[in-house]
Amino acid sequence: MRGKLLDLVLVLGGLVMIAPLVWLVVNALSEPINAFQLPPQWIPRPPTLQNFQQVPDLIPFAQMAWNSLQIAVITTAGALFTSALAAYAFNRLRFPGRDQIFSVLLAALVVPVQLTVVPIFIMMRWLHLVDTTVAIWLPALVNVFGIFFLRQYISSIPRELDEAAIMDGAGHFWILFRVILPLARPGLTALGIFVFEASWNNFFWPYIFLSSPEKMTLPVGLVSLQGAVGGGPAVVLFAAITLVVLPILVLFLIFQRSFIASIASTGLRA
Amino acid sequence: MVFVALPLVAAFGLSLFHWDLLGTPEFAGLDNFKQLVSDTATIRAVINTFVFALASVVTHIGIGMLLALGVHRTMTRGTKYFVRTAFFFPFLVSWAAVALLWKYVLDPTFGLVAHYLSTTTNWLASPTWALPTLIVVDWWHTIGYTFIILLAGLQTVPAQLHEAARVDGANGWWRFWSVTLPVMSPTIFFATVITFIGAFQIFDPMVIMTQGGPDGATRSIVQYTYEKGFQSFEVGYAATLSLVLFLVIMLVTGLQFRLSRRWVHQ
Repeated sequence: MRGKLLDLVLVLGGLVMIAPLVWLVVNALSEPINAFQLPPQWIPRPPTLQNFQQVPDLIPFAQMAWNSLQIAVITTAGALFTSALAAYAFNRLRFPGRDQIFSVLLAALVVPVQLTVVPIFIMMRWLHLVDTTVAIWLPALVNVFGIFFLRQYISSIPRELDEAAIMDGAGHFWILFRVILPLARPGLTALGIFVFEASWNNFFWPYIFLSSPEKMTLPVGLVSLQGAVGGGPAVVLFAAITLVVLPILVLFLIFQRSFIASIASTGLRA
Repeated sequence: MVFVALPLVAAFGLSLFHWDLLGTPEFAGLDNFKQLVSDTATIRAVINTFVFALASVVTHIGIGMLLALGVHRTMTRGTKYFVRTAFFFPFLVSWAAVALLWKYVLDPTFGLVAHYLSTTTNWLASPTWALPTLIVVDWWHTIGYTFIILLAGLQTVPAQLHEAARVDGANGWWRFWSVTLPVMSPTIFFATVITFIGAFQIFDPMVIMTQGGPDGATRSIVQYTYEKGFQSFEVGYAATLSLVLFLVIMLVTGLQFRLSRRWVHQ
């Protein structure tokens, strides 16, 4: 009985949580004249796609989505690759100062990106990379957290496996790519989802570095749309937000397990 | 190293200069630090950030724990799936989308909040309510994260311990205190530290929803750094501000580790 009551409270709480998202989609599907009615409507009557058609008139949506995707893919691939190499080096190789370098790296985990953004901005300006997507992914190719996370993962893989490979005359790259990484796949997947999600949603960095609409990523593009809409219909902005949210929702519903596992295991906030 | 160590050293260096990004940097000694202490806007931003961080941690851990406990019990699979999805999903939506959507949800004339709470309060324009409102929006966006971390932690609590406590006649509340909490303490500690670090770096909702207003009531340290560095081009002062953020995070994190010895079971 008490259990049922608690379930009811949790379900009601869940409904309150998703209410803003439902309201978003309903308004995005409504004609301007039928949108934002009071009391709030929960079913669009009649539904229309005209707001979605107007999104490209205000911002280059497809281009922005492509920029976001490109940056997220490069960042994820780069971060996984460099993290794997560094994690292997810190766990399996012996070189002078290894543990000292690793502790410096650990300390860098608490360095906020905001501390480095001013100097990096100056560096990027000097390299003529401001307002290019390179400025977004280049600093993200090395991911301190990724190194730390994969090192923990690799340290749980028995060393007997690499010793056997060394007996067979294998080099470090062979061991890393043929022995260690296949076994570390759950860790790589978790880190990959985590890095991709953080890059896809990143606002701070692109907001500072990108100013031309055709270079912007989706989060920055959305916010710039807020200014563009001005006195225009807010339903178009709602349509644009819906276009950003829906694909994530679909992906999440399909890969819910991996999403939750990646957040639970990496456990770091973007 | 190029993108972590070098900028770190550069930030220290820059804090000693006056520079507008265009002309030649001018050595300023400790000018920027003097300005920092006398700048009421900085002090306001530091206080706002602390209030935001403290409130975030308390609500995230508290409500996140209740949610995790609620979902961890036996529920039908459908209910569990729905509740977990509803509370976790907003975390995957970018802050940009969340902040824009919530500006409308909070709108005093046609927003959901105004209608269902029957008020006409303009939450984001009120010096009293703007910061608490952002805390609630942050909670909506980020609670799913804390909830999942804590839920994962709950799953590590061995069922035998609960069974043993039950046999010894411990009631539900006592079992929570003497079994669940001690086993969970490293997870709770981790979630607390991470929530604090994340909250100190808050920027997106302020910039998108309130621009730090009304009258600086919601301006955070990072946002002020951004304004100084990239809007009024006081690069040296911006670097000084980011050093303050760094020190605050180091101090609070260090303090948390020190205090953790008293309550976290290893």
